[in-house]
Amino acid sequence: MSAAAPGRMLRSVAVPLLLIAIWYAWTTAHPTVRTPTPPKVVNAAIEMIASGDLPYGVLQSLGRVFGGFAVAALIGVPLGLAMGTVRAVERNVDPLVESFRPIAAIAILPLAILWLGTGTSAAVMIVAYAAFFPIVVNTVAGVKRVDATLLRAAATMGIDRLTVMRTVIVPGALPSIGVGLRIALGVAWTAIIAAELAVGAKAGGGGSGGVGQMMFVFYAYSIELNRIVVCMIAVGVVAFLLDRVLRVVLRRLMPWTH
Amino acid sequence: MSADTKLRLAGVGKRFALKDKAEAVAVQDFSLDIRQGEFLVIVGPSGCGKTTCLRMAAGLEFPGTGIVRVGGKTVTGPGPDRSVVFQQFALFPWKTVAQNIDFGLRSIGIPAAERARRIAHYIELMNLQGYESAFPHQLSGGMQQRVAIARSYVLDPAVLLMDEPFGALDAQTRTVMQEELIKLSRVNPRTVLFITHAVEEAVYLADRVVVMTRRPGRIKEIVDVGSVRRAENWDRHDRVEEVMDQASFVHLRTRIWRLLREQQAEHEH
Amino acid sequence: MRGLAGAGVYFRTMAVFAVVWWLLSMWKSNTALLPSPVAVVGAIWELAVDLELFKHAAISLARMIGSLALAIALAVPLGILMGLSRIADDLVDPLVEILRPISGIAWIPLALFMFGIGNALPVFIMTYAAFFPIVLGTISGVRGVDRRLVDAARTMGVPSRTIVTTVIMPAAAPALLVAIRLGVASAWTAVVAAELIGAPSGLGYAIEWYRELLMTPQVMAFIAMIGVLGFLFDASLRWLSRRLTPWAPQAVSR
Repeated sequence: MSAAAPGRMLRSVAVPLLLIAIWYAWTTAHPTVRTPTPPKVVNAAIEMIASGDLPYGVLQSLGRVFGGFAVAALIGVPLGLAMGTVRAVERNVDPLVESFRPIAAIAILPLAILWLGTGTSAAVMIVAYAAFFPIVVNTVAGVKRVDATLLRAAATMGIDRLTVMRTVIVPGALPSIGVGLRIALGVAWTAIIAAELAVGAKAGGGGSGGVGQMMFVFYAYSIELNRIVVCMIAVGVVAFLLDRVLRVVLRRLMPWTH
Repeated sequence: MSADTKLRLAGVGKRFALKDKAEAVAVQDFSLDIRQGEFLVIVGPSGCGKTTCLRMAAGLEFPGTGIVRVGGKTVTGPGPDRSVVFQQFALFPWKTVAQNIDFGLRSIGIPAAERARRIAHYIELMNLQGYESAFPHQLSGGMQQRVAIARSYVLDPAVLLMDEPFGALDAQTRTVMQEELIKLSRVNPRTVLFITHAVEEAVYLADRVVVMTRRPGRIKEIVDVGSVRRAENWDRHDRVEEVMDQASFVHLRTRIWRLLREQQAEHEH
Repeated sequence: MRGLAGAGVYFRTMAVFAVVWWLLSMWKSNTALLPSPVAVVGAIWELAVDLELFKHAAISLARMIGSLALAIALAVPLGILMGLSRIADDLVDPLVEILRPISGIAWIPLALFMFGIGNALPVFIMTYAAFFPIVLGTISGVRGVDRRLVDAARTMGVPSRTIVTTVIMPAAAPALLVAIRLGVASAWTAVVAAELIGAPSGLGYAIEWYRELLMTPQVMAFIAMIGVLGFLFDASLRWLSRRLTPWAPQAVSR
């Protein structure tokens, strides 16, 4: 078994390294001004980080993500709990949720811009809309998954509804709620990039800042493909880190899950 | 090896690697000869390695030491001559009853007319009439196991291997299936290796009962049931409960129970 | 009976929603900002009559279907290979895990350079978006096949190479269909962004076009169309799942 470990490590970096090598070889053989090459991308990355542009953009985007995510969670989790426990609430609210769920947040963006302009509030609204659905859907599923026998036991002990909610339902639904939050965070991050990209495209070079908007500027105005690639990598890295961090936080909150 | 021996496990042993790099010995120095047409039951506590022995006989696993031979030839892999009936039925959910039974026949290349004839024969034998086009999920546990048994029998295997086949069924269905299996084996005698942890089931069905020890699994004792069955003519009784009421049955059952209990006591000290 | 009652509740809720919306629009009384439901219905009607609604819908739908076909053709065989072969998984999985966090939408600027504005861009973005859920779901479906089914097939003399097509693929089919539904959801989200920025036609493009003209009823008409088509596509896949894999527990997976 231990003999296989170095082999496996080698295999896991083999393909990405090979692709980067091919990319490098190709661009060295066919050099053009614009085409991104590994060394140019690395240089661009160093520049963008050192100048503070990239960290600043990432923080701007992240700020909007957390804002929208918080709004979505503060509305979505209680609503999901209500829908999961009270039949009538679910029956009446579910049609609305299911009707809007197939409509991507980005489709609502023109309306958001119309109502709130091209600034941060529109972005937060889009993020909140996008994050809302996974949170609600998974919260409802989590509540429904709570063991019915536990609920019946609590009922026979004469515990009032609110305490049951607090002590039985919420802890029981937490794993599912956690899943919903993780999905929602990923969706939120994607939504903010999309929103900033679209706003950048439509509002001209100005606009609200953030990584997505930076990417658009590098496309349409300064035509810096290397910097676009750096932004893409940043998008990927942040998405990965967000998920990992949230996973760790959730595991701390719920040590009884794996 | 005598011409009469259908399945031989000779000095068979098997180790398993555990998570923390340690090794567990599942089976050790296990030797058994099963005669042609014999119904042999292995009984033992959980984890004693009886399923491992069956899987080695089937060719699904390979012995670390020792040899497995069927009909004189060494076992190198699974095949239709050693058909297996699993505890969880393992029916293909996307195939109907008839298609499930048909599956193995197609693989060994039996022509269509012959396949149809055999399928019809076993559908009748296993009381599955009317369910040919049903899907497994539409059937009860007992019915599904009937299909699984039909699926294995229809291949005309040299040895039929049954791994706790009635373990997933409720008590009543279980007794009905035991009766049906006895009837089937009188009509269609076959060499059978049957695994169970239920002592009464073992005594009811077996010609010989092999009692295994705890891990590492070895043979503790082999009890001859067939001669008692013939001497006391258990077969004259139609029902399981009547057979189990016989004094001779109770003695054998108690004897095997004691053998198993001794090991439990050993283990707890 | 439950279907009928369900429809009743649905319409009741939507009716309440429409009334609240109408009251708000009366209060605001600015068609560009918040048109009344009546105005939106009127816009839908007009756009339907001169077929513009359907023209754009058909274009987006065609792109969705094309992307899905491409994504399935790439992701399913790869997923089966990765699910069955440890080595294939070790080799390809790192690449998948690196690319997956980079959403399809983040590729739009680079893709604009590669493809320009046109049909290719949305299809590329959507295929990319659908690819990841499908490949990951296929891997998990293949790995989740009950080992005993494979054992049973082997004891019946099925040769190893045939086992993949005769046992593993049918057994993994329900999970594969779920993965495809998730891929569609992902791609349908990407279609709007891709068309909004990088295409001369389609529902995303239409939304942006009418927004610039401040014709909000039309904007909402196209948004509604996106919702309807998204729902219909998923419902069709669920129906297909029930027909193709009747034995699978049809979980109301969301």
